[in-house]
Amino acid sequence: MKIKHSLFTRRRFLNSMIGGWITAMGTAFLAPIAKFVFPPNKEPDEVLLPKSDYENMEPNTVKLFSWGAKPGILKMNDDRSYTAFVAVCTHLDCNISYLPDQRKFFCACHDGWYDENGINIAGPPPTPLRQLNVAIDEEHFIITKDKGNE
Amino acid sequence: MNKLNIRKWFDDRLGIDEISAFMTKKEIPQHKHTIWYYTGSSILIFFVIQILTGILLAFYYKPTLELANESVAYIVNDVPLGWIIRSIHSWAATFMIALVFIHLLSIWITKAYRNPREMTWISGVLLLVISLAFGFTGYLLPWDELSLAATKVGTDIPRSIPIVGTWVTKLLRGGEDVTVETLSRFFTFHICVLPIFILMLLALHVYLIQKHGSSLPLDIEKKNIPVKSIPFWPNFIYREAIFWLFLLGLLLTIASLFPHHLGSPADLMAAAPEGVKPEWYFLFLFQTLKIFPAKILFIHGDTIAVLLICLMGVLFFCLPIIDNKPAEKKGKIITYAAYVFILYAVIMTVWSLL
Ligand code: FES
Repeated sequence: MKIKHSLFTRRRFLNSMIGGWITAMGTAFLAPIAKFVFPPNKEPDEVLLPKSDYENMEPNTVKLFSWGAKPGILKMNDDRSYTAFVAVCTHLDCNISYLPDQRKFFCACHDGWYDENGINIAGPPPTPLRQLNVAIDEEHFIITKDKGNE
Repeated sequence: MNKLNIRKWFDDRLGIDEISAFMTKKEIPQHKHTIWYYTGSSILIFFVIQILTGILLAFYYKPTLELANESVAYIVNDVPLGWIIRSIHSWAATFMIALVFIHLLSIWITKAYRNPREMTWISGVLLLVISLAFGFTGYLLPWDELSLAATKVGTDIPRSIPIVGTWVTKLLRGGEDVTVETLSRFFTFHICVLPIFILMLLALHVYLIQKHGSSLPLDIEKKNIPVKSIPFWPNFIYREAIFWLFLLGLLLTIASLFPHHLGSPADLMAAAPEGVKPEWYFLFLFQTLKIFPAKILFIHGDTIAVLLICLMGVLFFCLPIIDNKPAEKKGKIITYAAYVFILYAVIMTVWSLL
């Protein structure tokens, strides 16, 4: 049915009302779902490692710790200073390992290599390993996010 | 009530006669490409096997950090016939995906997606995507070293897509990293989300096939030669049944001779083991990613590779719309593209295994 001066029929009006209503309802439901499926980010700002567990390392060796859900690697350098990395390949996220005799980090997933300072030197990794800051107090190694390198 | 009446009672309510009339009236054309028609129903057979064995496995499987690997080991070692059920589930997945590839390629080459069957093709490509998603999510569930590393790599790949990428990765992983959240998520996808989608799409796909009937090869259709055909029921079904039996025999033989291996439990902190590879059907993509250099000019090689793969996917999806003049030169080139694709996939796959 169409009233004389109307631009569209009553049926069309009702259809678009229903359609619009369903779309609006659907979208209204989507937003909370989209929120729900992304859990809060769990990467820590700082991790404390008991000093006693890590201070007796030898130069050119590494020890693992957990950096949130990722492995972290604490490495003692030749001058007995420490460097920490997120032990995750910058290519596609595989966990890496340190090969002391070659003085390199190695990723087995696609043959990625980093030198002892975490600089990518061969294979697909596009950037160096993510470095973390290491500070030492009486009882702890304090590992914090490196500001410039997130 | 005698037998006739019972039948009639049901027929009045369910319309059985209409369905069986449709089945006997449905004709399957016989020509040199008829063999490819068999692949469709065989996929269904494997799909049914996947549902059955999947339900059985879910009775014992526990998607948690401590128990995932252990429960699979329990199925394999302790549950009566557990080893073969699991082996069938993983091998039938291989068979099914192989058949889906063959099915789609045969349709590409014979151009069975021609007007008016474009939507049948599109629903088919979506079914391929869902089948691959089944494979990808299922691969993680045993939660062993290799499956963990492969999933880390696999879920990190979308990250190289500009803008939406990071979100996709987060959505898949349930956070920044692959953790136990990823395991629950993949399990939910595998046994709940994907089954709903595959059943809906399958219904659409089968409906469209019934609606449009079997497609004829281009040359026959063009010359308008009458083709011989046989009734779908029972003649064609019987022939198909031979093929199904053969495949089932093959499946059981392979599944019992080469049961799927279960590695040691995944350790989120351990370095990735050597030889991380995805399932065979992802190998050609895996190798493609691997051969791209880390940087092309100033862009990450991966970004380019992933975008190229996405572009190929979109082209594949729209194939019947692109191939709108199947009988002309353009159509021929598109058929050759299928052979090029096959060659590429085979070479890459072999290369990744070397
Ligand atoms: S994930 Fe390390 S090289 Fe690819």
